[in-house]
Amino acid sequence: MSTQLTPVVPAPDHQDERPPSGRGFSSLGGRRSLTGWVFLLPAALLILVMNFWPMFQAFILSLQTGRGAQLSFAEPLWFNYQRMLADQTFWMTLRTTLLYLVIQVPIMLVLALVLANILNNPRLRFKGMWRTAIFLPCAVSLVSYALVFRTMFATDGLVNDVLTGMNLIDSPINWLGQTQTAQFVIIIGLLWRWTGYNMVFYLAGLQNIDHSTIEAAKVDGANAVKTFWYVTLPQLKPMILLTAIMSTNGTIQLFDESYNLTAGGPAYTSMSVSHYLYEVSFVQNPNFGYAAAISYVILVIVALLAAIQLKVGDKRD
Amino acid sequence: MRSVPSLVFLTVAALASVFPLYFMVVSATNTSQDVLGSRLLPGGQLVENLNKLLAAQDLGAAMWNSTLNAVGTTALSLLVCSIAGYGFEVFHSRNKDRLMGVLLLAMMIPFAATMIPLFRMFADFGLTSTTIAVILPAISVPFIILLFRQAARSFPHEIVEAARIDGLRELGIFLRIFIPTMRSTYAAAAVVIFMTAWNNFLWPKVILINEAFQTMPMLISNLTSGYVTDYGVLMLAVLLTSLPTMVLFLVLQRAFAQGITGAIK
Amino acid sequence: MRKKMTLASVAGVATITLALAACGGGSGSNDGGGGGGDDGDDQTLTVWAWDPAFNVYAMNEAATIYAQDNPDVTVEVIETPWEDIQTKLTTLAQTGELEELPDIFLMQNNAFQKNLINYPELFTAITDSGIDFAEFPESVVAFSTTEGDNYGVPFDNGAAVTALRTDILAEAGYTIEDFTDITWDEFIANGEDILAQTGKPLLSGTAGESDLITMILQSTGGSLFDADGNPTITDNDALLQAIDVYTRLVESGVLVEVNSWDEYIGTFVNSNVAGTINGVWILGSIQTAADQSGLWNITNLPSLDGVGEATNYSANGGSSWVVSSNANTELAADFLGATFAGSTEFYDTILPSSGAIANWIPASESDVYAEPHPFFADQPVFQLAVEFGAQVPSVNTGAYYYEGRDAVSAAITNILNGADPESALAEAQATVEFAMQ
Repeated sequence: MSTQLTPVVPAPDHQDERPPSGRGFSSLGGRRSLTGWVFLLPAALLILVMNFWPMFQAFILSLQTGRGAQLSFAEPLWFNYQRMLADQTFWMTLRTTLLYLVIQVPIMLVLALVLANILNNPRLRFKGMWRTAIFLPCAVSLVSYALVFRTMFATDGLVNDVLTGMNLIDSPINWLGQTQTAQFVIIIGLLWRWTGYNMVFYLAGLQNIDHSTIEAAKVDGANAVKTFWYVTLPQLKPMILLTAIMSTNGTIQLFDESYNLTAGGPAYTSMSVSHYLYEVSFVQNPNFGYAAAISYVILVIVALLAAIQLKVGDKRD
Repeated sequence: MRSVPSLVFLTVAALASVFPLYFMVVSATNTSQDVLGSRLLPGGQLVENLNKLLAAQDLGAAMWNSTLNAVGTTALSLLVCSIAGYGFEVFHSRNKDRLMGVLLLAMMIPFAATMIPLFRMFADFGLTSTTIAVILPAISVPFIILLFRQAARSFPHEIVEAARIDGLRELGIFLRIFIPTMRSTYAAAAVVIFMTAWNNFLWPKVILINEAFQTMPMLISNLTSGYVTDYGVLMLAVLLTSLPTMVLFLVLQRAFAQGITGAIK
Repeated sequence: MRKKMTLASVAGVATITLALAACGGGSGSNDGGGGGGDDGDDQTLTVWAWDPAFNVYAMNEAATIYAQDNPDVTVEVIETPWEDIQTKLTTLAQTGELEELPDIFLMQNNAFQKNLINYPELFTAITDSGIDFAEFPESVVAFSTTEGDNYGVPFDNGAAVTALRTDILAEAGYTIEDFTDITWDEFIANGEDILAQTGKPLLSGTAGESDLITMILQSTGGSLFDADGNPTITDNDALLQAIDVYTRLVESGVLVEVNSWDEYIGTFVNSNVAGTINGVWILGSIQTAADQSGLWNITNLPSLDGVGEATNYSANGGSSWVVSSNANTELAADFLGATFAGSTEFYDTILPSSGAIANWIPASESDVYAEPHPFFADQPVFQLAVEFGAQVPSVNTGAYYYEGRDAVSAAITNILNGADPESALAEAQATVEFAMQ
C-alpha cells in the first residue's frame, strides 16, 4: 500500500529533470544521509505518535464490545464488522457519502478548472479581485457558513423568494426537509466552500505550463477549446490527480457539512458516514468498538479510491 | 475562453462566492428578528450587538486562545514540515520515498476514530486543558510536508553544493538559504495551516476541559447552546471569527499563489 | 558537528513545545476544569452548565444565596454547551479520567438514562442526602432515577404549553378559552378555520423531528419504551394516533413544517404563525419579539381523546443537576438541597430575570409566581406552568431515547411521503432493536 501511494506526489514525472548532481548528495556518505533522516525525524515521529499509534489502538477497540467504558473482546472477534453488514443506517450513510463524492467532486473540479482557465487569461483585468472573491469562502469557519446557508435555504428564505420571483417554482421548497433537496444543499455548500481552494491549485499549475506549447498549438490552427483539451489539460494532469485525491479523501471523511448544515436529516438521509460514526460515539448509546470498526471501513475505502485514482492517472501517461 | 460568456460565468461565480459573506456582514448589524427575516440591508445594531456579545462572552480571552493555538500550530508546523520536506528532497533516497508514502497514509485516518485513544494519551501525561495538547496533533501534516518537498524540488541544488563547499553546515543551509528563498511556499503553507488550526473545533472541544481555554469556534457554539439565541449577536461573533483568516489570506494572497505555484513545478 | 546542530534543532522544537506547555499550565489549567472534590477541606464547587442567561445565571444566584449561611463556599461555574458536556462526559468515562469531572454538572433530562446506564461511574446517588424528591413532579424525578436511587435534582421545568397569539385568534373570533381543555380534533377544526380566515397557520415545527409527537404521546401516558426499556414502537395505538394527528396537522396546513430550529423560532418571532406548542422554556424565545408584547397567552395542550389517560399535560426538555462521582459529595448535595431543592427565596430571585421556572413544587406557592406577566397579557404564566408540570403523566424514556426518537422521526418523514404508517413504524422498531443489540 505504502509504496503504491508514493506517486501521490505529482512530480515523479519530473524526476529525470533533476540536475544530475542531485543524486550525488546521498552518495556522499552515511553521515549526510543520517542528517537527512534526522531532518525527517520530528515530522515522522509526530505522525507516528499522533496518527498511527491511536489508529492502532482504534483497531484493538474495533474488536471489542460492551456497554459504556466496560469493554471486552468480542465473540467472535470480528463481531463489529459483522454487525455493520446488517446495519441499514450504516449502508445508507455510506451510499449517501458516495453519492456526494460522485456528484460533487467532478463538478467541483471541472468548475475549478474552468475558472482557473478564465483567470489565467493574460488579458483579464482585476485578476486579484476575482481570485480573492472566489477563494474567500474557504477562509470562513464552518459554523458560520452553515448558519448562513440555513438562513438562505429557509422555507421563506432568499433562495425560495428568488425562485418564486422568477416564476421557476409555484410554492416554496422545503429545502432541508426533504431527502433530495437536503443532499442538494450539502453539495451546493461543498461546492461553494471548496471550488476556490481547488482553483488556486489549478491556477498555480497553469502558470507553470510552458506558454510556447500553447502558442505552437495555435500556430497549428487549433482553437481555444482544442488547445485546452490537447495541450493544457495533459500538462495539468499531476495537479488534477492531486486535487482529485485530496477531494476524494475530504468527501469520504465529510463531517462538518453534514453535522452543521442539515444535522444529517431528514431521517438520516443526508448524513455522511463520518457523521454516523460520531452519532454512534457521542449521541446514541456510546458504542466505541463499533465506531472504530466503521472508521476502519472508511480508511480502507479512502485508500482503495486513492490507489484506483493513481492507477488510472498513471495509465494515461 | 476570453469571450463575454466566460466573463459572465466569472461574475456569477464571484457573486455566488461573496454573497453569503455579505449576508454575514450585514446580519452582524441587524437585530435577531431581522436576521431570521433574511433582511439584506445593513442595520444600526452593530454596537448594540457588540455590547451584548461582550457582556455574554469573554471575547478577548477566546480571541487570545484562538490566536495562541493558531499561531503556535502554524509556527511549529512550518518548522517541522518544511525541514522534513527539505530532508525528503535534498537527501533523497528510495527508503525516504517509502517513508513519505507511509506518512501520506495518515491523511486517510478519520479523526473521529483516533480521538478517544489520543485523548487517553494526553490525559495520561496530564496534558488535558493545555495549549500543547491542542497544538501537538496538528503539527505534522503530510500534505504540508508534501508541499515543501515539491517546493524543495525547484530549489537549485547548485546552491546547496556551493554552500557546502563554503563550509556551511546542513542545518545552516536550511535555515539561512532555504527558508529565505522559499518565503512564498512558507506563506502558502502558513495560510493553509493557520486556517485549519483557527477553525479546528472537535479536538479543542474535547481536550480543553477548562473553558477558560475556550476558542472562537467554541464561543460561537456557546452562543447557540441556550434556549434563546440572539442571531444578530451570533452573526457578529461569526464575522469576528472569520475576520482573522480572511485578513491573513488577503495579506498573503500574492505569496500564497506564488507558493502553491512554486510547489508544483 | 553537523549532527550536533541537527540535534540542537530538535531540542529547539522541544523547547518551544515546552514553553507552550508552560503557557498552558501557567494559567492553572490542570486543576481548573476538574472538580476539587478529592480534597476533603475543599470549599469550592465546580459546575458545568450551558446557558448564561438561564442555568448558569441560576447557579450563580444559588451560590450567592448559599454563601449567606456558608461564607467559605465558592462556586465556579464553567459555561459549557450541552453537546460539549456530553462529549466530555463520554470521553472522560471512556478514558477513565474521572478526576477531571466537576463537582456538579447539568444534564438534559432526555439524555439522563442513557448516561446513567452506560456510565454509572460518572454519578453519585443522592437518595439519602436529605433532599425531598417528593417535592418534585414524579414525571420529572423519573428521568434521573434508576432502581429506586435518585441521581439528579430537577432544575428547569419542561412542562408543555400551547402559546397563542390572542390578536390573531380574535381576528377569527376565537379566544384562549376555545383552546383550553380541548381535544386534538377540536384544535385542528379551530386551526383550519383560523387558517381560512387569517391565512396564518397555528403551529410550526422542524421537519423530520418528532418532538410534538412525543409530547402528544406522553400526554396519554405513553412512550416509545415500556417500563423495562424495551421499544414499543409497533402495536402502540397512542403512537399511531399521535402520528395521525401530526399528519392531519401538516396536511391541513394548520402546522407548517420548516427546515431548522432557527427557522422555527423565526416563524413566530416574525408573526408567520399564530402560536406554538413546546416546553415552557420556549417563552424565552417568544419574548425576543418585543413588538408582540401583550399579544400572547398560554394554555394547556389538546388531549388525544379516547387513548390511554388522555390528559392535557405533557413535557419536552428540561434538565437536572448531577452530583458527579468526583465531587465533594456532602457539600454538593447540601448545596443543592439548600437552594434548588429548598429555597423559595432562590426561585423568587431567578424567576423574573431569567424566566427559569421551577420544578420544585413549593416554589409555585410564592407570590412572585402568581404575578401577572405583561408580555402574556397579564396571565400568571409561571404559576400556570408549574401547575401544568405537576399533572404530566410519568413515562419511561429509557436509555435508548435518542435512538427511538430518531427512528420515529425517520418513520414520520416516510409516512408523510406516503409510506404505510404500520410498516414504517415496524421498520423504526427494527432499527431501535438493532441499536440495542
